Amino acid sequence: MTMNGRFAVAHLLRAASPLLGTLLLATALSFAQPPQINPDSVQLTMAPVQGSVYVLMGDGGNITVQIGKDGVALVDTGFAPLAPKAMAEIRKLSSGPIRWIVITHVHTDHTGGIAAMAKLGMTGESVGPPRIVAQSNVLNRMTGPQPGNQPKIPEEAWPNDEYFLPTKDFFFNGEAVVVYHVPDAHTDGDSIVFFRRSDVLSTGDVFTPGSYPIIDLARGGSVEGEINALNKIIDITVPAKYQEGGTMVIPGHGRLCDEADVVEYRNMLTIIRDRFRDMIKKDMTLEQVKAAKPTLDYDAQYGSTTGFWTTDMFIEAVYKSLSGKK
Amino acid sequence: MHHLPRCRAAGFGLVLTALVALPAFAQLDFSGEWAPLYHEDGPERLPGPELGDYTELPINAAARMAADTYDADRISVVPEYQCRPHGGDYSMRGLGNLRVWREIDQASEKLVAFHTHLLAWDSERTIWMDGRPHPPDYAPHTWQGFSTGVWEGNMLTITTTHFKTNYMRRNGVPRSDKAILTEHWTRHGDYLTVVTVIEDPVYLTEPLVRSDNWYLDPGQNIGVFGCEYAPEVPRPEGTVPSHLPGQNPYLREFADWYGLPFEATRGGAETMYPEYKQKIANEYHPPEKCSRYCKCTNLFDCNVTSK
Amino acid sequence: MRTRLLALLAIGSAALLDQSLFAQGVPPPSGIGAPPGPQAPKSGQAAAPVDFTGYWVSVVSEDWRWRMVTPIRGDFASIPLNAEARQIGNAWDPAKDTAAGEQCKSYGAAAIMRVPGRLHISWADENTLKIETDAGTQTRLFHFLPATILGVGPAPYSTERTWQGLSFANWERPVRGSGFPGFGLGATREGAHGKSLEVVTRQLRAGYLRKNGPPYSENTVLKEYYDLHKERNGDTWFTVTTVVDDPKYLTEPFVTSTDFKKIPEGAGWSPSACVAK
Repeated sequence: MTMNGRFAVAHLLRAASPLLGTLLLATALSFAQPPQINPDSVQLTMAPVQGSVYVLMGDGGNITVQIGKDGVALVDTGFAPLAPKAMAEIRKLSSGPIRWIVITHVHTDHTGGIAAMAKLGMTGESVGPPRIVAQSNVLNRMTGPQPGNQPKIPEEAWPNDEYFLPTKDFFFNGEAVVVYHVPDAHTDGDSIVFFRRSDVLSTGDVFTPGSYPIIDLARGGSVEGEINALNKIIDITVPAKYQEGGTMVIPGHGRLCDEADVVEYRNMLTIIRDRFRDMIKKDMTLEQVKAAKPTLDYDAQYGSTTGFWTTDMFIEAVYKSLSGKK
Repeated sequence: MHHLPRCRAAGFGLVLTALVALPAFAQLDFSGEWAPLYHEDGPERLPGPELGDYTELPINAAARMAADTYDADRISVVPEYQCRPHGGDYSMRGLGNLRVWREIDQASEKLVAFHTHLLAWDSERTIWMDGRPHPPDYAPHTWQGFSTGVWEGNMLTITTTHFKTNYMRRNGVPRSDKAILTEHWTRHGDYLTVVTVIEDPVYLTEPLVRSDNWYLDPGQNIGVFGCEYAPEVPRPEGTVPSHLPGQNPYLREFADWYGLPFEATRGGAETMYPEYKQKIANEYHPPEKCSRYCKCTNLFDCNVTSK
Repeated sequence: MRTRLLALLAIGSAALLDQSLFAQGVPPPSGIGAPPGPQAPKSGQAAAPVDFTGYWVSVVSEDWRWRMVTPIRGDFASIPLNAEARQIGNAWDPAKDTAAGEQCKSYGAAAIMRVPGRLHISWADENTLKIETDAGTQTRLFHFLPATILGVGPAPYSTERTWQGLSFANWERPVRGSGFPGFGLGATREGAHGKSLEVVTRQLRAGYLRKNGPPYSENTVLKEYYDLHKERNGDTWFTVTTVVDDPKYLTEPFVTSTDFKKIPEGAGWSPSACVAK
């Protein structure tokens, strides 16, 4: 199975029931195919966040939904098989066309539903397919040959409005929507999306409060980039009274958060990074680093000894990212 | 019929008469202004816990490591920490005066909630009494969490979930966002006793049960706390002060000052049970006399040289 | 004449006590809708709304360095002592106390519940709740005073001052609201049913509030409130709020609350003698 699919499954495992997650992982590892998902066994939950913004949870990564008189904007699209179910939830909020889809990064639990949602989201009011915004590295990875002999990604699933400058913005449903590229974080194509009037920030997998960040080294991810991305999120967010509320943060997976939650996550990763730097400076091998248990104080909160993304793999990724060793 | 011997009966009668003063009625309203009493753990609650003091906490190795690597500079250098409040659990250690009031639904005259306001960071909490469920897992977490209460006789039992990550003690011992707090409030006359039970699967090996007292103080005036963060220490953005593992030079101070065996200061459930007293008896070498926090009962008489 | 006076005194005391100790489970008549007439008083054991019997262990989650070890000489943090008391405390001499047979000074009723150890609570009789401590091997007796005792029979309680003093106990009564609920004219509020045990202790021998000598006088009045609570993990605890009122040595009442966890029968029970240091 490809790394992309594995990442996708890892995230779906956290959203779906344990039984479903085990089934999907077993399927994914056995057949080297995109995960087979039975939509009937997946529970989707739509929840209001703030202003015009909602979040749809349970379909791979969190899907951000902004609604208003101009139509619907999405951040990420979940998995293709779940698109009709996701669309049904969106239609409970708005009958307007999907005009914008912003993609935070290339993994299939966020991009798998692009083609389906773009098609399902069109109505009589559409003047064409939605604008599918993504950082240019996402487009590069989706249009090039796919690793592990995976089939080509069809053109209708590609971003059609890629950007390569530090930001891209547009105005929709009465507010500015600003897309920031945060380079070399979770991957090399990460975007975070700020709904300015609603005061909501969608982070993609740069921020996943329930687990250590997945650093996808093969797709340009890095620890330093991840920390920079978290600092960028903290720069943008403004809390209300006493460090609570204010700008709401929709992570790639997991519960609704605010700045204080991102600060804890950033602190964790920065402290771990500092420890690794010290050990690498002392020429410690990966095995020696693992034996030193440098993440012990955070493992019960963020780590895992089983599943796809384990604490060991996180330690390995941090070590390789900081040392430059393969 | 027997007759009581004179003097004994007289004395007995006086004793019984004096006992009339017993407050015999169950207290069931916590509304009012409450001032905390610092007759327990005064130095830890007022000026603050000393570095390396993990006594009386059933913490695990993860919590110990987090506390050992904690650098108090973090509070000033990380701007977002400057105005970070205590969590709802830590607040009930009485780190500020408290106001409690009831919310009654006018249509049904039923108690909907108790509300609390604490001086520290103007923290406010709602304790829902109307049977509503706690929010789902994906709901945002807050400093005070989400609380619901039920009566158990004259005791109010409160359950709080959805806490933000915070600390169990403000010298770096952490408390995770997976923690659940149970409280038991009882009022006896003008005293309020709050038992807090913290269950934290990330950092505790067993629930932390402790109790603090408040007294009714109708004349108190809780002012505005106010806080605005102001970075004053030039550091690169994103700096998070911490000690590298094994390199915190301050961890033995507490043991040295008070003559305690170092292992005893590391906390853990074993150190909280009576048999531990015997275990460390021969390793305890206190100084000749008190030189730190010898007197500490309120904000005005508790500094390190008070005697 | 004298006999008549004594009888009047006893009866008067009984009348005064009617509101507190004699009405176990029987609320006073108040307002419209009150229940008819007084019922026979129940014994302390029969009236118990909760069960404190069994074995309990103190879990030292507060004041660790003043309880788990003998505090440093002169360390009186958190106790509202006056100047005279501090002077006495600073002169603490455990060897002298031992020589005088006073090594139990820090195990008196005003302090015993803070001494780490185990308790065994049982009913000595239907009106006497007994607390035995393994630390210091002390016994406390909480008397629930039955109506028949007054004026009848010899006084069963000694007037001698002891480490544990003389304790009278009471189950906190429910508060009844006035009014007639069916017609919306008031009702008993939720939370009114008491489950606390209240104990008042006097006749104490002068002792220490902690092992290192902060004193309390023989005029101390000790009030305690015992509250049982069960936790989510199935554990049963009780918390005792202790109010030490001693105007001779304290600037204000000294209030602490101590927590005990229920343990299996006899687990870890290890009686030990008092030690002065």
